[in-house]
Amino acid sequence: MSTATAPAAVAQLLPGNRVLTGAAASEWSGGRAVEAVLFPTDTDEVRALVREANETGTDLLPAGNGSWLDAGGWTGVRGGVVVSTARLDTLFHYEPADLTLTAGAGLGWRKLAAVLEPNGQWLPWDAPGAAAGTLGGAVACGGSGPLSARYGAIRDNVLGLEVVTGDGRLLRIGGRVVKNVAGYDLVRLFTGSRGSLGVITRVSVRLFPRPEADMTMVFEGGVERGLEVARAVRTTSLPVAAAEMDIRGGGASGRETRVVVRVLGSREEAEEVCSRLAAEIGAAPAGTMRGGESDVFHRRRSVWEERSPVVVRLAALPDQVAVTMRWAREVARRTRGEIAADVLGGVVRVKGSPADDGTAELAAVLMRARRDVEAVGGTMTLSRAPQAVAATAGWAGGGGGALVQRIKSLFDPGSVLLSRCP
Amino acid sequence: MIPDTLTRSLAEICGPGGVIVDEDRLLVYESDALTAYRHRPGAVVLPRTTAEVQGAVTAIARHGLPIVPRGAGTGLSGGAVALDGAVVVGTARMNRILEIDAANRRAVLQPGVINAELSAAARPHGLYYAPDPSSQTACTIGGNVAENSGGPHCLKYGVTSRYVTGLTVVLPDGSVAKLGGRGREAPGYDLVGLFVGSEGCFGIATEIEVGLLPLPEGVRTLLGIFDRIEDAGRAVSDIVSAGLLPAAMEIIDGPTIRAVEDSVFAAGYPTDAEAALVIEFDGLEAGLDGETARAAEFCRRAGAREVRRARDEAERMALWKGRKKAFGAMGRIAPDLLVQDATVPRTTLPAILKGISEIGKRYDLVVANVFHAGDGNLHPNILFDRRDEDELERVERASKEIMQLCVDSGGTITGEHGVGLDKKHHMPLIYGAAELDAMWGVRRVFDPSGVMNPGKVLPEETAPGWPGHGEGRGAAEGEGAGVAEPAVAAMAPP
Ligand SMILES: Cc1cc2nc3c(=O)[nH]c(=O)nc-3n(C[C@H](O)[C@H](O)[C@H](O)COP(=O)(O)OP(=O)(O)OC[C@H]3O[C@@H](n4cnc5c(N)ncnc54)[C@H](O)[C@@H]3O)c2cc1C
Ligand SMILES: Cc1cc2nc3c(=O)[nH]c(=O)nc-3n(C[C@H](O)[C@H](O)[C@H](O)COP(=O)(O)OP(=O)(O)OC[C@H]3O[C@@H](n4cnc5c(N)ncnc54)[C@H](O)[C@@H]3O)c2cc1C
Repeated sequence: MSTATAPAAVAQLLPGNRVLTGAAASEWSGGRAVEAVLFPTDTDEVRALVREANETGTDLLPAGNGSWLDAGGWTGVRGGVVVSTARLDTLFHYEPADLTLTAGAGLGWRKLAAVLEPNGQWLPWDAPGAAAGTLGGAVACGGSGPLSARYGAIRDNVLGLEVVTGDGRLLRIGGRVVKNVAGYDLVRLFTGSRGSLGVITRVSVRLFPRPEADMTMVFEGGVERGLEVARAVRTTSLPVAAAEMDIRGGGASGRETRVVVRVLGSREEAEEVCSRLAAEIGAAPAGTMRGGESDVFHRRRSVWEERSPVVVRLAALPDQVAVTMRWAREVARRTRGEIAADVLGGVVRVKGSPADDGTAELAAVLMRARRDVEAVGGTMTLSRAPQAVAATAGWAGGGGGALVQRIKSLFDPGSVLLSRCP
Repeated sequence: MIPDTLTRSLAEICGPGGVIVDEDRLLVYESDALTAYRHRPGAVVLPRTTAEVQGAVTAIARHGLPIVPRGAGTGLSGGAVALDGAVVVGTARMNRILEIDAANRRAVLQPGVINAELSAAARPHGLYYAPDPSSQTACTIGGNVAENSGGPHCLKYGVTSRYVTGLTVVLPDGSVAKLGGRGREAPGYDLVGLFVGSEGCFGIATEIEVGLLPLPEGVRTLLGIFDRIEDAGRAVSDIVSAGLLPAAMEIIDGPTIRAVEDSVFAAGYPTDAEAALVIEFDGLEAGLDGETARAAEFCRRAGAREVRRARDEAERMALWKGRKKAFGAMGRIAPDLLVQDATVPRTTLPAILKGISEIGKRYDLVVANVFHAGDGNLHPNILFDRRDEDELERVERASKEIMQLCVDSGGTITGEHGVGLDKKHHMPLIYGAAELDAMWGVRRVFDPSGVMNPGKVLPEETAPGWPGHGEGRGAAEGEGAGVAEPAVAAMAPP
């Protein structure tokens, strides 16, 4: 839709030192061929850019740090002017005693953690990749990680948003109080909309006190033993904060599986949970991490996928783990990959690299995996995959219904935002 | 009254006992628990299944009548009131729990299931449903979904929207939409989250999937008695800042204490106190005593004259009694009661409480506070007699000032009761034209012709081109023409 000069018309609204073009732009976008990357510094600038894009018919792609712009096939593979909110990183409001914070969407994860830590607080969002990006990017992706069993998913902890819609309207929705039912919940609609409805410019979130104790038990064994331990953890009534099962290698050596159980609470409570859980499982853990060691371990895990060329996500109810795990192992086998499964949430992730000659085969396996997982009411999505594989297997199953289409055209009537409905 | 042809087709669709047109029986459906708003519906239809809801919605819409979903009618914002002879679609006969899936800690149920009955049914599996509105023995899960209800224990566990994972919805055009379901991983826009809190304006929820939690092993309950309500507010703020996360923190103020102690619900709270603070911790037995002791210490430091601790379940019930029976007790000392529902940032509680009490004094009114303090969710209740016109006017002015005070502190106009009829004209206090316009737009996505619960949530004068402005049809039109808005919304003793 865009003409050759249209991106330039949008780009010229910002001073040259806040515009990337050519190779620099593509490099910033993780190799994606984009026409420019723009760095507005306030909401008014974002609004001006979006309005100009509507006037000139320029494709826009909202972004944070551009850490995962190629994911999920939401945005096509090329083109577009990237509007990065990375420079909208002001901390507007932080009242520790209220456990709430309001900041620009571009506030980076590390900076945020550094602000919260001295007050003994945190934002327990461990959605895949969140720690590599921005606050707004995490909200836009609206994911959930293993800790959401304890703290809720990202969508449960966003209190308010400021957004510039696809047609350039400025909306301030929700607020900064923890309970708010005034009007329809547009905050939940924009959370997880992945840049398809507007550019998120400001975010208010609910924070949590960091528990006194952070403990992680690691149980090791073969795959069968791992599944047994995972089952015990899934069905215990003890307050477990998160639990994951990792499988490395092909699964034949007998020691390739570990179940990682995280326990948070007062020191007394956490110690008690650990010892009682070990008794329920009927084995002592191979090791237990405490405090900072446990925290760092999980922080590293939250960017587990890194730059793996294949990242697959299979999700179903937790007791359908036999189905999701069977296919995860099959995919891992064909990609020399690894598996990380969220035991409480039922999400199984695989990362790997496709064999050079095996893309057709991999695509076929993925399609069969999707069919079986969907048969038990689950979903299979490709977070990242070579184009040839994704083109055959499809990024995600199903498609948006009529409601989804109508919502998209309500906020982005000119289809200026490149992102499709997730 | 509705046309005979519609009565006949509804009776055909919903079977015996499925349609109410008798004027006397319709009386019951005149209002919800906010009894100031009374409007007799044209009819009430009581379907049993999703298919019957579809049939009823289609038939009603064909006759051009508006539709109002209704659960138990315990709402406190006039949400289930039928304006302009609308037809009420009640969920009273949709009260089956369809599945308790203990392995995945979830349940699937019809919308008319009573909140407390779900927890009772989950109990044998060692599970329960966390959101616990104080009305939980009467209100329905469908109503909870529509209002995004909270409750005392939502401080630790979060409100309804956190627990709803899937919905089957009959849309105003009679079609069925399945949103989310089978866990919390559904891809795409969060339409479940968008529907929760839509106050019956987007469609009728006919099947609801929710998450359940394991029952906590132990509970500890404290009662702090304070001479100044600000001190109780400070204790709440200090406890949270210290990193403690109680399951519940509820404040009952002096006027409420005296109302309770004067009534049959007397709970043994000292009548000269200005605030009682109920604090509850739950979880594993280990660690509970330590947390409780720390919270007690914060109460003392904030100025509590006395801190009581429940030693057994009977004592625990006694400590809670004053909180739970507060509404009932207040209903006995004044004919009318105005319930507000603002939420403010927790740290502003001491100042806001002081401000509210000053407003009450200035207007010579009794303002009784009983509320979810941990969440900053206030319920200032103004006691009055609507037959006293001068008092009525003072109540109206005071309630506006209180709401403005809360909004100015960074708060919102409703934390859990919803906007409904009652607060729609206050929406512009917190949202501008752009936001209201966006909300109208989303409402139209679900309900293009404006038949679902019209006249609620959004002030009609903010609706660009909404049917009823101009050539339109249905309720919006009649509504502009003359729903008498009571000066003040009064609630009968529940
Ligand atoms: C479909 C998908 C799957 C993913 N899966 C994984 C995974 O398996 N493992 C992993 O490590 N990471 C994954 N991520 C990445 C990760 O969750 C996010 O990238 C990270 O949380 C945010 O990074 P960022 O701020 O750099 O945003 P970017 O990478 O720049 O953007 C990510 C997405 O969010 C949108 N977006 C970002 N900022 C805004 C904004 N301010 N307003 C509106 N939209 C915005 C973008 O349009 C884009 O769709 C995934 C991302 C997506 C989109
Ligand atoms: C004494 C008392 C204490 C209360 N305490 C609390 C509290 O602690 N926390 C709290 O949040 N609320 C509280 N409430 C308010 C009220 O109980 C809740 O709002 C409750 O969720 C309403 O449920 P209901 O079944 O009575 O719904 P109704 O009053 O019948 O309806 C409420 C709204 O929901 C819509 N609706 C009902 N069913 C459906 C459906 N199936 N699909 C779509 N829309 C539907 C209606 O159209 C209406 O707009 C209290 C009320 C009383 C009287």
